Amino acid sequence: MTNEPILSRQNRILIPPTDDNRCKQARKKEFMRKIYIPIKVTSSAKGYELLIRLYDDLKDLQDEIIHLSLYNVQWFEANLAAVLGAIIENLENKNNKVYLVDVEEFRQKTDILYRNGFLPYYGIEGENLMNSSTQIPYKKFRESDHKIYNQYIQVELLDNPDFPKHSRKLGIEIKRNIYELFENARTHGRCKNIHTCGQFYPGKKRLHITIVDTGKTIINNVLSFLKKELSSSECIEWAMETGNTTKIGNTPGGLGLGLIMEFINLNKGKIQIVSSNGFWELRESKMEKYDLNFSFPGTIANLEFNLQEDKIYSFANETPDMDNIF
Amino acid sequence: MSVEVLIKDLIKTNFAVSTDDGNQVFDIVNKNLSKKESIILDFKGISLMTTAFLNAAIGQLYSNKDFSSEFLNSNLKLQNVPEQDKALFGMVVKRAKEYFANKESFERNTNDSMYGHN
Repeated sequence: MTNEPILSRQNRILIPPTDDNRCKQARKKEFMRKIYIPIKVTSSAKGYELLIRLYDDLKDLQDEIIHLSLYNVQWFEANLAAVLGAIIENLENKNNKVYLVDVEEFRQKTDILYRNGFLPYYGIEGENLMNSSTQIPYKKFRESDHKIYNQYIQVELLDNPDFPKHSRKLGIEIKRNIYELFENARTHGRCKNIHTCGQFYPGKKRLHITIVDTGKTIINNVLSFLKKELSSSECIEWAMETGNTTKIGNTPGGLGLGLIMEFINLNKGKIQIVSSNGFWELRESKMEKYDLNFSFPGTIANLEFNLQEDKIYSFANETPDMDNIF
Repeated sequence: MSVEVLIKDLIKTNFAVSTDDGNQVFDIVNKNLSKKESIILDFKGISLMTTAFLNAAIGQLYSNKDFSSEFLNSNLKLQNVPEQDKALFGMVVKRAKEYFANKESFERNTNDSMYGHN
């Protein structure tokens, strides 16, 4: 990526000046700001940069009332609600009160953020919504909630009658990848909460799932482990290779992310990792990495599974002799 | 006489996916093997496993230098491992051996550079 911001002027977040003389006194009392969520949020490098810039513009606010407006939003990729949830949590941790506003204007364009439970999570209920169950609802899990997360995946994905038909073997590998990623966020991020959201597309036979943690970034972990200079996207690239781990205790690591990468490659799916200002993507066997202009205080992992690709998946060339495996 | 542990009952789920649950399995195996008592891990009813779980449950055993491969093969038996997960066990064991070999060499090099060597 170039060093120039990739945002157009119209996407910039408008923060009303607080030193406006006419309203200075009133604003001091209210501490209210209205912030506009970008027009188009998609799972591309540009889409992530827009969301991270939203965080960057707000990161120094404390003890304020923040109205996050959906007024301008034309398109918001459903699973990326997990990223917005993490940004809101970050603001709330700094004693800000955050309200999602202008939701009716957005609803006239799409009701997806109602249907995937994101707006209802913040107390905004919708009526006469489209009847659809292709969402894996937005949820926030505490670091210790791994058993509740198991139930969530079971109920929302595996037991969902609308989930596209696929082979048992593929179903097992999808679950395995999701859990590996969730565990990675829990154990490496050392975060308070993990945000997750997903969406499946029966027509395209695709499943998208996003897992966001706001703990230590991959970049922090890799740089303090390797003690050498790497760019953020190079740190992610290093972490994705099988055998590479930043763990130093008695529990080995270095397999989970590598296996996900191998699986996504075979499956012709997509994996994107955004951590700090690093962006790394593997899509249909093609890897891309960039350093973004803004930094996210955690890690966003976005997986896209291809439910049509039902070939036999094999981790290794041979099955070990279980009686002499050690 | 070996102790037999049904993993599903121990971790109270048929998803063997979390590091915490893997640690529970490790604790019981480590306790038995440290007393030179054989143990059987029965994976009956487990529908899913991850490397995160297996690294904690099995990979961690290689941190104990008293547990050689020969000792583990004789005293730790794995039962009813689903066919699709067998390769995962192989990978976790291989990775654990590499990890502790690297860790040992890393720690030796760190000690050498800190304290010098003869």
